[in-house]
Amino acid sequence: MEDQEILAKFADPAARNVAFNQLVRKYQSKIYWHVRKMVIDHNDADDLTQDTFVKVWNHLENFRRDASLYTWIYRIATNECLNFLSSKRRKFFMPLHDVGTELLQKVEADPGLAGDEIELRLQKAILRLPDKQRLVFNMKYYDDITYEQMAEITGTSVGALKASYHHAVKKIEQYVNEESHLN
Amino acid sequence: MNTPFRLDEHKRRPQPLAPPPADYFERLPRQLMARVQPAAGRSEAAFGWLAALSMPLRTALASVVVLGGFATSFLLSQSAVTSVTPAATVASLEAVPRTEMMQYLLASDSRVTLTDLAELSTADHSLTDSFLQASPDELQDALDAQPTDDTYL
Repeated sequence: MEDQEILAKFADPAARNVAFNQLVRKYQSKIYWHVRKMVIDHNDADDLTQDTFVKVWNHLENFRRDASLYTWIYRIATNECLNFLSSKRRKFFMPLHDVGTELLQKVEADPGLAGDEIELRLQKAILRLPDKQRLVFNMKYYDDITYEQMAEITGTSVGALKASYHHAVKKIEQYVNEESHLN
Repeated sequence: MNTPFRLDEHKRRPQPLAPPPADYFERLPRQLMARVQPAAGRSEAAFGWLAALSMPLRTALASVVVLGGFATSFLLSQSAVTSVTPAATVASLEAVPRTEMMQYLLASDSRVTLTDLAELSTADHSLTDSFLQASPDELQDALDAQPTDDTYL
């Protein structure tokens, strides 16, 4: 179903629940994986995905159609992730590397990466990036989001996003090669 | 020697982490509906009729409520002002015996003093003759007894 159709249905109080259900079914997988790659843990990703869609429900009526629905939902999910990670650091007075260590431990324990050494190194390398650069990398590398859409989601210029992605790739390749050398 | 790792040569796994529980994406829409539904139910019960109105009607209704509030407060303040007319004030004061009124006024220096009464009586005897029984000599003595600094000489 097209976004415009969902929005028109949502505006009708009698069809609102059906429209929201369709919206969730359309975007839940993309949003879940976007969040999951940022927070690694399934339970955290579940909480943040739900919070994202509850915010969508609360604010969809005021959604201005100058952005696409897809990028708008992505933006909410992105902010949820960044707030979650920064509040986690504040809450436990953790220095940056400690939250990073926690995420690394979760990646190492993830059954999806068991037996795939190169993929595990790649995931560990991605986790070493700063949160915002990791977001940019994930959106470009995994989700095939265009730089223009990323600019809408993050509020950053296309040029800055391209530079950020380029640097992220260099850092990742360097880390994976160093790790391969050590082992 | 190992070939250096290059990201563009690496086979991309779209979802590299372990998948969520099997029925997760079936349950998620139901869980979300359960989370948003109570709030929606409450607001519909209280303001369902309001939500059914179109946006211009809602705006008009809000304007009417605000203007009605202003009009009501204006009318209430006006009736409070008009309820005490000057005629009613005079009538209620006339009902008080003049001697009692004089005792009340003299009870505190901040209201009226004997000197004030003496000056008033000297200026126009008819104003005070109904309640101030004093001879012209007594009035003159009262005026003479007035402290010098109060007369601004």
